[in-house]
Amino acid sequence: MHVSPVREPLINGEKSYSDITNDVMAPIKAKPGKLWFAGLTVSVIVMLIGFAMIGYTVWFGIGTWGVNRTIGWGWSITNFVWWVGIGHAGTFISAILLLFRQKWRTSINRSAEAMTIFAVMCAGIFPLIHMGRLPLGFFIFPYPNTRELWVNFNSPLLWDVFAITTYFLVSLLFWYFGLIPDLGTIRDRMKTLWKKKVYNFLSFGWKGSARHWHRHESMSLILAGLAAPLVLSVHTIVSFDFATSVIPGWHTTIFPPYFVSGAVFSGFAMVLTLMIVTRKALNLQEYITVGHVESMNKVIIATGSIVGIAYITELFMAWYSGVEYERYAFMNRALGPYAWAYWIMMTCNVISPQLLWIKKLRRNLAFTFVLSIFINIGMWFERFVIVVTSLHRDYLPSSWSMYKPTIVEVAIYMGTFGLFFTLFFIFIRVFPVIAMAEVKSVARSSARKFLGKPVKKQKTKNQ
Amino acid sequence: MKKQNIPEPVPFKFGKKLKTYLGIAAGVGLLALLIAVFLQQLPSERIWANLWMNALMFLFLGLGALFFWTVNTLGESTWQINIQRIMESMGLTIPFAVILFIVAFPGLKDLFEWTHTEHLDKILQKKEAYLNFPFWLFRFAVYFGLWSFFAFYLRKISVKNDFEPYEKFLARLRATSGWFMVIFAITSSMAAWDWLMSIDAHWFSTLYGWYIFSGMFVSAVAVIILITIAFRHFGILPNVNAEHLHDLGKYLFGFSIFWAYLWISQYLLIWYSNIPEETVYYVERVNNFGTIFYVNVITNFLFPFLALMTRGAKRQQLYLAIVAVIVLMGHYLDLYLAIMPGAVGRENASIGLLEIGLPFFYLAAFLTLFFIFFEKAKPVPENHPYFIESSDYENI
Amino acid sequence: MGAIIYGHFTDELELLDAVKELKDKGIRIADVRTPFPVHGLDAALKFPRSHLPKVAFVAGVIGGSLGLLFQVWVFTKGWPLNIGGKPHLSLPSFVPVTFELTILFAAFAMGIAFLLRSNLGPGKIPDILDEEVTNDHFQVILTVKNNSLSEVELAEALAATGALDVKQVNEEK
Repeated sequence: MHVSPVREPLINGEKSYSDITNDVMAPIKAKPGKLWFAGLTVSVIVMLIGFAMIGYTVWFGIGTWGVNRTIGWGWSITNFVWWVGIGHAGTFISAILLLFRQKWRTSINRSAEAMTIFAVMCAGIFPLIHMGRLPLGFFIFPYPNTRELWVNFNSPLLWDVFAITTYFLVSLLFWYFGLIPDLGTIRDRMKTLWKKKVYNFLSFGWKGSARHWHRHESMSLILAGLAAPLVLSVHTIVSFDFATSVIPGWHTTIFPPYFVSGAVFSGFAMVLTLMIVTRKALNLQEYITVGHVESMNKVIIATGSIVGIAYITELFMAWYSGVEYERYAFMNRALGPYAWAYWIMMTCNVISPQLLWIKKLRRNLAFTFVLSIFINIGMWFERFVIVVTSLHRDYLPSSWSMYKPTIVEVAIYMGTFGLFFTLFFIFIRVFPVIAMAEVKSVARSSARKFLGKPVKKQKTKNQ
Repeated sequence: MKKQNIPEPVPFKFGKKLKTYLGIAAGVGLLALLIAVFLQQLPSERIWANLWMNALMFLFLGLGALFFWTVNTLGESTWQINIQRIMESMGLTIPFAVILFIVAFPGLKDLFEWTHTEHLDKILQKKEAYLNFPFWLFRFAVYFGLWSFFAFYLRKISVKNDFEPYEKFLARLRATSGWFMVIFAITSSMAAWDWLMSIDAHWFSTLYGWYIFSGMFVSAVAVIILITIAFRHFGILPNVNAEHLHDLGKYLFGFSIFWAYLWISQYLLIWYSNIPEETVYYVERVNNFGTIFYVNVITNFLFPFLALMTRGAKRQQLYLAIVAVIVLMGHYLDLYLAIMPGAVGRENASIGLLEIGLPFFYLAAFLTLFFIFFEKAKPVPENHPYFIESSDYENI
Repeated sequence: MGAIIYGHFTDELELLDAVKELKDKGIRIADVRTPFPVHGLDAALKFPRSHLPKVAFVAGVIGGSLGLLFQVWVFTKGWPLNIGGKPHLSLPSFVPVTFELTILFAAFAMGIAFLLRSNLGPGKIPDILDEEVTNDHFQVILTVKNNSLSEVELAEALAATGALDVKQVNEEK
């Protein structure tokens, strides 16, 4: 395949195939440093505090939270949607960018997929605990029982159960099967016997056989074709939690694609936040280049603009509909008691990503890092605004109320960060952060200086 | 990399034979119109609705192609460069759509009830600040002004590079595409509200603009496929190979699924919440236009989904062409469903000689303009930095 | 007793040339092992297309049908309920779960089929001849069993293509 010389190289420095192996395996082979231990410790502590608070909630009940009538969903569902949204980037990068033949995805897809799985795990906690009786959580699955009861297939909350479960399992499958060849690489490089045995088990007996690679590629393509609509469907179904209702601000047909764009938007922002730090910490700057950051920023500006246009469309349509409840809902968002949340959302989500039209800023790592955090703050507030403002004031003014989270809810949210980072810290030590085999497959065409044999020797020698 | 012998391209000539065929097609369309007006004496709303519907389809092809080109430019993708001139020339037909719209203007009072300012009900009064003719006309002019500007300017940049390749070429193309993308996103939705959604002026849906966009895009891709296959067949674009067809097929497949996704999103949400002021839209269609309603989903989703799933299907010229034709007709049906129930109503709406014959005129007009513009420039932008990449890649 | 002759290359383009040469000589290649999927190798080795996509399709249809039929049964025969005035056969509502189960079944059936077909899985021990294959060696493996040539002839043929470190192992594969 020809790659135009005008294209920016995907791998900087002078690399050969074994360089790629060694560079990516370095964090796995090396002894973890003080910073890693510190990070892991903090994450674990925060996670345990969060889990303790979950236990507290299960023991004493949902009354320990700030939810009330009429705001039955507060931080819990805001956090749920936020984490699920973040979990969209991984599959987007692996599946959709694979289908679009975007070679730059090869150095970030592994971490992005891992991040997806961790994010979905964090997300899944909230629907389970917000129901109150966590030990009876298995009720949500349709299993034959003596009461002859089945789950309510007409409820979007149940569609969510299937969507999130499927998404988690399929993402895990996609991530793991992509990992298998690299786990084989690690197995063959490990000298310590017990580590070699572990990676041997994990690599499923991979030996790099061409037949296996052929099936692996075919499978990856089909998985990508399956995962692409899956990614769209998951956040669509999450949006159905709101859009199938009748209340103003929630019931609106644009929610499905708007939520999906928002999810990819926040997901890429989180990938950027993590990758900008990871590339420095693990010395992988030559693989996760400024060009990669720029490409991710382009996705951010595209999806961020879609989100912005969706906001404007909703605003316009609220007016155009002539429905006074709809009009009030949006006036209330901008000017009512939660207006501060609304304007944080607008600033972070609509205004700030537009700065990425400027090339200099797109290629500036410090700016991108700060922006990515703002975007995720903005997206959290978007879900908060949607959930709370529509619930706290809908059709009947006598029912209007206010919501404030309790320390328990805040601690649980922080705990999910603990869980996320604990898993991520373990991941970067145990698994290759970059998909070695995939990067090697684009090295010859897209590296700045590929150290391999020169391309063609004289034909006459062998004929 | 296999290096096949790629023959020299056959230069494209918009010659007598082609013009005769197009003339005949135009004649068929006009004949259908004349029969409808004078012989069958169809009710005027139906006639105007058909003119409106065809003008929109004409516009959608050019606008969708312009979008496809610019979005690929922004994504730094290169496979489409071999067919870029097709997309450029399609885009240049956009300004001429104005004429076709204006021809239908006498029918605006039939199409849009909000134009009857004497007896607006309470709901329409609330929308009057937006739905009034002067403001509507101003928006009309703005949309076309902007789209036409971009169609011509992007073409200018592209053709300039043919003769004097310049360093800033890619950057200029990307920057202009970026501006167009933002403006297109806003104006295409607003145009959908102005020209289609307001036919059912009491109804509203925030998804509507994006839903119409998805149909527009699939229609444009279908026509790009047909023209590409025709040009390939006649040797005008010898560099186009099965890989390009495969990619075009992927877009037809994928975005048909995307259209269906938006279709079900809008339908499911309105069905589920069951709010009367919203459901009235679908009740009318399911009850009074039921067959067409379901044929619409089958033709635009189920059929391309099954027909284009396999790898081989997307790489075979004739098969892909047939699927593209059917899908194109399917999206015409979608437009029918968007317009006829509100503009004409059950008693008078039907698929008759007018609905089947009139599109031939618009198709002929579209292709005439397309061929004129295609002839004016080189068939492929050979000096494009990504040109070689465009001809030298393989799908798994 | 079957002899296995193998050698490696450090470059995938050399590998492709070597494979073509060996194929031209009529030698049957037992296996080629690479650190990443090499473009054009499948064609050179004349692999038939994988059937995994078909597995995915069939499994997806099964999953989708199961999902749809189960929901229909639950709401029409099992325990019909009036949920918000919706009909018992509320087909639009059944779309999300049907879709998810289609994808789930398709993905997992294909994944399991891949492992079974390739004889991979937890606990499988691979027969590694050259540990650097997963790093940067591109290995070609020939067996006397598959070919009518002797070990020496095979080794010579392999060496003639430019393979490095041509070795022989006398184990049954």
